[in-house]
Amino acid sequence: MNNWKVFLNGLIKENPTFVLLLGMCPTLGTTSSALNGMSMGLATTFVLICSNIVIALLKNLIPDKVRIPAYIVVIASFVTLLQMLMQAYLPSLYASLGLFIPLIVVNCIILGRAEAFAAKNTALPSLFDGLGMGLGFTWALTLLGAVRELLGTGAVFGLTLLPSSTNMLVFVLAPGAFIVLGYLIAIVNKIKK
Amino acid sequence: MKKLESSLKNMLLVLTIVSAVAAFLLAFVNNVTSTTIAKINEEALSAGIKSVLNIGADEEIAVAEKDVDGFIVYEVTRDANWIGTAVKSTDKSGFGGDIEVLVGFNKEGKILGYEVLKHAETPGLGARAGEWFRTATSSEVKEVGALSKIFFGKPDPAGSHNIIGRDIAQGELKVSKDGGDIDAITASTITSRAFLNAVNNAYKVFKGNVSDVNSGATTQQ
Repeated sequence: MNNWKVFLNGLIKENPTFVLLLGMCPTLGTTSSALNGMSMGLATTFVLICSNIVIALLKNLIPDKVRIPAYIVVIASFVTLLQMLMQAYLPSLYASLGLFIPLIVVNCIILGRAEAFAAKNTALPSLFDGLGMGLGFTWALTLLGAVRELLGTGAVFGLTLLPSSTNMLVFVLAPGAFIVLGYLIAIVNKIKK
Repeated sequence: MKKLESSLKNMLLVLTIVSAVAAFLLAFVNNVTSTTIAKINEEALSAGIKSVLNIGADEEIAVAEKDVDGFIVYEVTRDANWIGTAVKSTDKSGFGGDIEVLVGFNKEGKILGYEVLKHAETPGLGARAGEWFRTATSSEVKEVGALSKIFFGKPDPAGSHNIIGRDIAQGELKVSKDGGDIDAITASTITSRAFLNAVNNAYKVFKGNVSDVNSGATTQQ
């Protein structure tokens, strides 16, 4: 029951993108399409779950003063692992996201959750925290990517919905990312109230 | 269990062990995946060579690879007859960094096809280079105001941007803004320049004028 709450906390109540406003660099950079946003979210989820579990298990073995470098080594290892696995088994996805994969290491959601949650809890709740936060990040990025793709290219997940005369290129570019993110945060705040 | 104390010995020990375990794990996974990754890259390259030379995917060909001053040249033969050459050419002046193009030439030196192998151009703008330079012309031209140009993108101008079948011996490929006859990708002149420069250099390597390439590349910057 408690784990369920932890999961929902990351998914909605403390959504990393819309509420905590963490990890803005990949949020704005990778969401030029719904598919890219979703893939980035899922890749981050994988790293987040793995690093949360390992850090929760190791927390008593790691002296306080070296915890940050130790956590970063754990996180960086999982990211490199993911990069190699993706390159070997999902080459087309790697081609579109490859640039952003190494950046997961410095995504502050991951180190943030390691510090704020995994370092204070046991492995199982940490797994649910990673899953909740990761999927919260994923749906936020997918939504952001879908809106930008729809307004910018008239398609969602590559499926054309609007005629090309309504395409607004600015939404595919960086300024569009900020504009859409701002409106989505406003909408989420309104719904939460 | 009590938390380990932050003594120098503990800190050294823990960091060393964590790093060593991570290194072993990564070495193991690298060992498992490296052959698959190499195979995928090889297959992608051979599919690319066939595609730029208009060769069917099932046809048997022999490829001789050589490195000419940083450009990779693939001479393709079928039944010991030379049927064409593909050149891998990179231009560093793209909008988002390097643009790597594979260009196929037939025996007469005409462009048979191309593939953009690697790029970091803007999606929806420069990233369209993969299709733009092989599609025929668009006929629709509309006059639009400056503001809607930024927001909606200019409608594609009428003009030629198809480079397939071109013979660079009759003149280098240049965008119309630079006095050439190729229409740049709408709102992506920088990408278009870099792309055409890569194609021009590929041709020079194909013709064997390698020394031209480096000087040519610098004057284009």
